[in-house]
Parts: sequence; C-alpha cells; structure tokens
Amino acid sequence: MAAEEASRSSPRFRREPKGRVSRQDKYSVLLPTYNERENLPFIVWLLVKSFSESGFNYEIIIIDDGSPDGTRDVAEQLEKIYGSDRILLRPREKKLGLGTAYIHGMKHATGNYIIIMDADLSHHPKFIPEFIRKQKEGNFDIVSGTRYKGNGGVYGWDLKRKIISRVANFITQILLRPGASDLTGSFRLYRKEVLQKLIGKCISKGYVFQMEMIVRARQLNYTIGEVPISFVDRVYGESKLGGNEIVSFLKGLLTLFATT
Amino acid sequence: MATGTDQVVGLGLVALSLIIFTYYTAWVILLPFIDSQHVIHKYFLPRAYAIAIPLAAGHLLLLFVGIFITYVMLKNQNDTKKTQ
Repeated sequence: MAAEEASRSSPRFRREPKGRVSRQDKYSVLLPTYNERENLPFIVWLLVKSFSESGFNYEIIIIDDGSPDGTRDVAEQLEKIYGSDRILLRPREKKLGLGTAYIHGMKHATGNYIIIMDADLSHHPKFIPEFIRKQKEGNFDIVSGTRYKGNGGVYGWDLKRKIISRVANFITQILLRPGASDLTGSFRLYRKEVLQKLIGKCISKGYVFQMEMIVRARQLNYTIGEVPISFVDRVYGESKLGGNEIVSFLKGLLTLFATT
Repeated sequence: MATGTDQVVGLGLVALSLIIFTYYTAWVILLPFIDSQHVIHKYFLPRAYAIAIPLAAGHLLLLFVGIFITYVMLKNQNDTKKTQ
C-alpha cells in the first residue's frame, strides 16, 4: 500500500496548478495520544486519505504516552499496514505533557513543516490541505485553524459553553491583541524551525501553552495565517469546563498579559 | 449555524444591547440639546444616573468575579487538603 501511495503522489506533484509546492516539502503530523485506541485507526486513515488525495508528501508521528488501553499496539499494527516511512512510532513511558510531546516528536520529524492536531477526532484532517494551500498563498510561518472566523465553528457545545468561549476569546483579544482570532486552538501548521524556536521560549502548560505560542510568535514577528475549521467536541463526560478551568485560564491570561 | 434556542438567545442579546445602546446614547448625547420643557425628558432619569448606573454595574461585576475566583480557589485548597 505504501508503494501505491508513492506512485500516486509523484504525478500529483507535476499536476499541482500553483507550481509552488516544491518536491522537497514534507509535512510531519505530530499526533500525541493517550488512550486513543479506538480513534487512532480512524484518524490515521483520514490523514492518509487527505494527504494522498491532495498529493502532498507526509509522515505521521505517533507519540503515545504509555496509554494503558493498548494504543501503542494499535499504532504498531498501523505502522505495518501503512509502512514505517509514513507512520513513525515514538512512544514514551508515561504521560509527560503536550509541550514535551511536541519536542520529542520534532526530534524525529523529517519534514520541513509540522502539523499539530488532536488525535480524538475533534480535528478533521480534511482541513490540512487547506492549511497547506493557505501557507503557500501567504508564505506564512504559522497557519492556525480558527473556530471564530469565517465559517469556522464548534459542534457539540451547549449555549453555556459557547458563551464562556466567546467571552474568554473577547477578553483575550482585548488584553493580548494577538492578531489571531483563535488562541486556544491546537490545530495548526508550523514551519519546523518556527515551532522549535517557539517551544524553546514558552513556559506555560496546557491550553495556555497554545496561547503563549501565538503571542510569542507575534513578538518574534512571525506571520500567522488563519483557516476556518470545524471543531467537533466529543464530550465523554470527563472534560467538562469547571470553575477550576476558568480560573486557571484567567490566571494564565493575566500572566501572559503581564509578561509579554 | 447555531440552532434553536441558541439563535433565540443570540438575537435576544443583540436586541438588548441595541436597546441599551440607543437609550444611553440618546440620554447622554441627544438630550442635552433638547429644550428642558420637552416631553421626552419624562422618559429619562436625571443625568447623574447616567454615570452612577454604569459605575455601580461595573462594581457589581468586579464583585461577582472576585467572589467566583475566591470560591473556586478556596474549594481547590479544601480539595487538596482533603487528599493530603
């Protein structure tokens, strides 16, 4: 199957209308996973499908943090199916956090662009070719998927959650003036060296980390493009937005306001 | 697109803010130019309230936010004390 894809992707490069996608461009998708045994085959299939249909060169790096549900075994089987040039397994012993997962994944990435996304099917890989096209269009350093502009949005949120999200985004826009409409989103495309530099500079954790990346990127004068995406929130019951999350968000926001 | 009640609530919020905006603008900007005997002044409070009400509202907002944050942080402390 890997050979099939290789022969399918080279003719596509020559047919690419813009002509600016060079054959050297390779996109590494970093997929940090924790207990994604059921979603992982599906998301890998969607990634492979959208990349082979659009003809871009890619690899998928699965960074599993010692999931107890056997995600790693599933990943190993996927590696056999799609080939170890397309699927790279770089697991870790235990849950160590998103920032370090990115660092770990990047060490093994051979692409010159890095795509980060969630592995729980809240991000749909069909937007990735749009990210790539947007990046080529404006020669952006970063392309961020936004839920707050264009026809971007969220499926699966109730009214209370939507209001909280809009208010939070409003306060963020006022305090930080980031030049991007969605700061806490984690569906993004980075140039590899840009991501490396930004991770080196960021100190916060969780979704404040995603916010800090954009703010630091503006500080360093990187260009940011935006693509509207649909975020599908699969609420399994654990990740409800409690008072705790709200307060830590405000704390993180004020820290960023004070320090950048 | 938002559905059902969400759209209704959204439209309601937009309508409410438009009403407040027009009322307040008329109150503060238009009324000073209208003759003080005109009947329209009956519909507006004395202008001192144009400052007092937003100020009080702002204070209340800060108070609620402060109470919320204090409540969450105390609950957090209690939870970590219980698990220790």
